[in-house]
Amino acid sequence: MNTFFAIATGVMFAIGVFQLLRRDLIKAAMGFNILFTAVNLLMLAVGAFNGTSAAYVDDANQVVGQPSDPLVQALLLTAVVISFGSYAVLLGFLAVTSRRFKTVDGDEMRRLSG
Amino acid sequence: MTFALIIAASFLSALVIGLVGSRLRSTLQGWLLALVMGALFLLALAHLPDVSEQGMTIFSVPWVPALGLNLTLYADGLALLFVLLVTSIGTAVMIYAGYYFAHDDQAEAARFLALMMAFSGSMLALVLAGNVFTLFIAWEATSLISFLLIGFKGKKDESARKGASQALVITAGGGLALLVGLLLISAATGSTEFSQILASGDLLREHPWYTAIAILLMLGAFTKSAQVPFHFWLPGAMSAPTPASSFLHSATMVKAGIYLLARFSPVMGDTNFWVTMLVGFGLATMAIGALLALFQKDLKAALAYATISQLGALVALIGLPEGHGIKAAMLGVIAHALYKCALFLVAGGIDHATGTRLMDRLGGLWTRMGGFATVTALACLSMAGVPPLLGFVAKESLLEAMEEQPILIVLTVISAALTVALALILFWDVFMGTTRDAHVREHFHVNPRLLVAGPGILAAASLITGIGIEPLLSPPVSAAAGKAVTLHLLPTGFNLTLLLSITALASGAVIFATRETWRTWIGAPVITGAQVYQAVIGGIERAGDLVLKTQNGKIRSYLLVILTTVAALLLMIMPGELSSLNRLTFNIGGASDVLKGLLLVLALSAALASVMFRQHLLAVLSLGVSGYTIGGIFLLEPAPDVALVQFLVETLATVLLILVLVRTSEEERKKAMERVWSQSRRGLIRDVVISLTIGVGVTIFALAAVSHRPTPNTISNWYLANALPEVGVNDVVGAIVTDFRGMDTIIEITVFGMASLGVLSILTRQSPGRVVRVNLFKRTTPVQESAAPAEPKEFQPANVLNPRDNPIMRTVAALVPPFAIMLALAQIFYGGSAPGDGFTAGVISGLAIALSYVVYGYEETKRRLSWLHPAPLIGAGLTLALANAIFPLLTGGSFLEHLSLEGVSFAGIHLASTTVFEIAIWLTVLGGVSTIMDSLSHPEEVETL
Repeated sequence: MNTFFAIATGVMFAIGVFQLLRRDLIKAAMGFNILFTAVNLLMLAVGAFNGTSAAYVDDANQVVGQPSDPLVQALLLTAVVISFGSYAVLLGFLAVTSRRFKTVDGDEMRRLSG
Repeated sequence: MTFALIIAASFLSALVIGLVGSRLRSTLQGWLLALVMGALFLLALAHLPDVSEQGMTIFSVPWVPALGLNLTLYADGLALLFVLLVTSIGTAVMIYAGYYFAHDDQAEAARFLALMMAFSGSMLALVLAGNVFTLFIAWEATSLISFLLIGFKGKKDESARKGASQALVITAGGGLALLVGLLLISAATGSTEFSQILASGDLLREHPWYTAIAILLMLGAFTKSAQVPFHFWLPGAMSAPTPASSFLHSATMVKAGIYLLARFSPVMGDTNFWVTMLVGFGLATMAIGALLALFQKDLKAALAYATISQLGALVALIGLPEGHGIKAAMLGVIAHALYKCALFLVAGGIDHATGTRLMDRLGGLWTRMGGFATVTALACLSMAGVPPLLGFVAKESLLEAMEEQPILIVLTVISAALTVALALILFWDVFMGTTRDAHVREHFHVNPRLLVAGPGILAAASLITGIGIEPLLSPPVSAAAGKAVTLHLLPTGFNLTLLLSITALASGAVIFATRETWRTWIGAPVITGAQVYQAVIGGIERAGDLVLKTQNGKIRSYLLVILTTVAALLLMIMPGELSSLNRLTFNIGGASDVLKGLLLVLALSAALASVMFRQHLLAVLSLGVSGYTIGGIFLLEPAPDVALVQFLVETLATVLLILVLVRTSEEERKKAMERVWSQSRRGLIRDVVISLTIGVGVTIFALAAVSHRPTPNTISNWYLANALPEVGVNDVVGAIVTDFRGMDTIIEITVFGMASLGVLSILTRQSPGRVVRVNLFKRTTPVQESAAPAEPKEFQPANVLNPRDNPIMRTVAALVPPFAIMLALAQIFYGGSAPGDGFTAGVISGLAIALSYVVYGYEETKRRLSWLHPAPLIGAGLTLALANAIFPLLTGGSFLEHLSLEGVSFAGIHLASTTVFEIAIWLTVLGGVSTIMDSLSHPEEVETL
């Protein structure tokens, strides 16, 4: 199954990159969100076990079945929150720049041109 | 120990004077600091007998013991001589500086004096440094403070800014060369400590890197000590206030290069290369400096060139084989510091009184500035080398050291003669005759009476150390030279040296007498170092302009360049990776996998749909669907904690994106969207090709990652086995987040908090003409609604969903926050045995806040949730997390150690340090989410920045 996850990661990446390359900065911002999701998906796929149960132990410290890898889950937990934080910063910039340049067309924001 | 105290005291007094100095009269500040400096001088002097006997004392405290880094001080005779020099000259300069700033703002004076004291501290640390790191740090500190002092009047004076940056580029650049040299020395000798480097004998001299090391050290020393061809920064540095020029740029800092060469000459010196380079560059500098000094009209510029000349002589002396010149060098350092510093201070006094430093406007000041004239007379006599002043002895020993080589002696005598002429000019043209400029004659200010005290002390010292040279200077010079030296004022008999000395004096007088003639021979223009420097700087700027021409400013083209490069790199490595993929298996195990597959297809289709939709809102919603589907996949993994957070965060992200949609005008959005769809066929193909290449590359990478998965024998098993016994929770993921990898979590919530504060500052930053004040501890005052239609309007989410008039929605929104917080607390306290933790708690309560913003709008939410202070919440959360981590340290435990209140259990709630940590995570995430919502739905419109 993880093979399919890996392929899906690649497809999602392609969609995200394409979206990132749009002139419309709102769409480009969405592209970032897709890229975050793609990476999170991959992180899940590289977990060590093909789990059949959640990573919990009972009060006798016994696991039920094969738990899924808790390490990648802990990493994902922080990754999801952090990617939300960076997404918020990105949107903040978007809100300010669109106000400043009176457009959301990336090609019209050209203050860097020499 | 004493020496560490001396350095610390300097920095401490810099701090104190910087903080409270502005409340004191500047003269008082000057006297206080002079008192400190004087005390430090006496303290250092008391150690002279020790150092003479023992050779050196070493003081070392571990700094980063793991890397073998120590903060070491190495006090031998050489270091002590410089310490005495810095503190004694410093005393006189501080007294002077207080009066110099008497008519200025007290705060200005305090700022200046604080910098001067900080410089003293750095300079003392430089000469007392006991290993290469301490030396380098102090070395660069002196360069930096010198920069600040040269540019002290930089606000008003452009030349000060220019001079300052020029000096910094040259000296700090040399400092970098020095750093590399020092590192090579450490690598070659296997030690960073001077005590071992200096005991390494011939090791460095015979090392294959010797030449490289020598060149790098010389680059450091020559730039700092203004040797040709780097000399030009020193005249440029004369825009510093005069006390700084006299202290840094004549007496102490420029001697750091001399100190460095002297410090390393026991292990580096005495080779052909060393002698040739030092003597060659030194003598060239000596002659060129002395010559150029005569053509200067500005008093300070003339003194600066004379300083360059003297520094050249000192470099040459250090270079002489078999330590022949060390005695003369040390005497030269002292003599030069005393007379040159006095002359600089006089120049400042003249500038103060007459408003000019140009010699062709001065003259005849004898009657009005008797004290300064006397000081100048003494200092000039010392400079010219006339007995019984110290300068005479210094010049005698210089000539004596150079005696053996005819070429050296000729150059030295010529330079000495030029210096004599300059000394005569400095005195005669300023104080004798009549004042040449009428304006100066009529607008004469009387200086503060005690301004002359500082230079007076120094001039007197030139005389006293000259007459009493044997008892006074023999001990320190012997200590510095490392051998017993007996100094005499008068030569023991008539010899060659005395003859040369008299020749120099006589020819100097002739040059002085004929000055009207040779001043007309302004030589042919030569390329100066300053011009080369300007050309290089100009070249860099032009190159920058050229680079700028390649920029078209479109963010998309930058992305294209970056992504094309990534795609090309992927294409290059892809073929090699393909072979490792034959281990892949495409097995599907059971119904759950089929479900996962379907969800994957749904997630991908929804993501693709967000690309295809022509309306923003639909695209955003479809993106949300994609995110939820991923959450479903997490749930099936099964990873319930992650799935929960993913659902919540996806909701929040969708809300944020909609808020951004609302903030941007519909017209602009439509225009941008139309342009997306009117993209040319070629552009579309290009984007598709890039996306696909990257997609394929990532797929291969992902497949490789999946097929190289760690065997089941991983750390995860350890986590599974130890979560309950070690942390006391059933949720292994929770145990990892709050305990096993707790430090990661602290960093992570810090990053999240910073990101949300970043959003706050992006959206409410200063704009010209209007400052949106962000006070984290008070509510941002909402802008008053005004009747004018052009005014920015309050954020109206009604445009999208129109929930504000819907009574059911309003009621629900009012009820949600308290319930959300209860739910959040439940998540925290029962998170140990069930899905959910601080993160989910934070996002759940954050969502409730978000709902309020959506339903009520900004103003009403602010009123309703007046108890919520988002930014302080972040601070509280982070503080709590840190306190919780540090707390075990107090009881002798380790950072972030797990503590549990055994036996205290209430309603199934088990209290432990992890619970506190979860609360901290909750507070931070809630604060962060609220800050983000607050900023993005703020009605304040940021104007064109």
